[in-house]
Amino acid sequence: MAVNVLIVDDSAVMRAMIQKTMKLSGLQLGEIHQAANGREGLELLERQWIDLVIADINMPVMTGEEMIEHMQAHPNLKTIATIVISTEGSQTRIDRLQGKGVRFIHKPFSPEMIRDTVKDVLGCEVFHERSH
Amino acid sequence: MNAATSEILTGVVADTLEKLAFLFAVPLEGPASVDTRELATVRVRFSGPCCGGMQLSLSRPVLAELAGNMLGADDGSALSADEQHDALRELINVICGNLLPLIGGKNAEFNIQTPFIPAGGAPGAGEFGPVNAASNLSVESGICLVALQLDGPVPAEGVGP
Repeated sequence: MAVNVLIVDDSAVMRAMIQKTMKLSGLQLGEIHQAANGREGLELLERQWIDLVIADINMPVMTGEEMIEHMQAHPNLKTIATIVISTEGSQTRIDRLQGKGVRFIHKPFSPEMIRDTVKDVLGCEVFHERSH
Repeated sequence: MNAATSEILTGVVADTLEKLAFLFAVPLEGPASVDTRELATVRVRFSGPCCGGMQLSLSRPVLAELAGNMLGADDGSALSADEQHDALRELINVICGNLLPLIGGKNAEFNIQTPFIPAGGAPGAGEFGPVNAASNLSVESGICLVALQLDGPVPAEGVGP
């Protein structure tokens, strides 16, 4: 099964870094979509079939936390696997996100951290055999 | 200048440069002597239990290397100014995000604004305001200067990892 991914981050460089890491992880990738803030992310989710959302927190227009709240209020979006990759250091805020079923990766991240978290969330079957 | 906060800042900057872009940094011995025109500067503001700002200036060749390493490009200098500035904004965002819990406490909730390149792109300590902590580092073939400004006292949870 190929996984369609949506990367939401206001930094184009960070979106490119995450995309590169995903490609190197051995994940069976389908389409990769990008958005620069939560509002753009929600608009893409309305139009595209997405299996995995990777989102930042601090973004202009709409934060990642607000985007996740909108997703959870939407019956078609609330089951989409979501990973937050952020500099967020507040344990209170991280606990609040994890309470919503979201996985958290702290920046700066290593490629292994992303690969292992995606495996935890989606399972090994979405990875090419050699990366198990 | 708060020596304890400066030491923590130095650790966070060096750790971030290494993990984000494989750049190795060590504290500069003595004051930095550099033509400020050779530096690219970025600033960010934050609010929460304490408010303030951070300014980071990086030698332009190091900025090209930073952006190249982050994007996996063979030649960072071939990247556009926008791409290099985006990498610089992300660098200060990560440094600020990692520093604030260390000075405000692990449960403190801060809001970090979008980093920006100041007009002219050159460091201007006078415009930035009084500096509470600073870190001057040697990075590869250049330098990285980081200054932290706090609008009020450090929260009671104090400074420490």
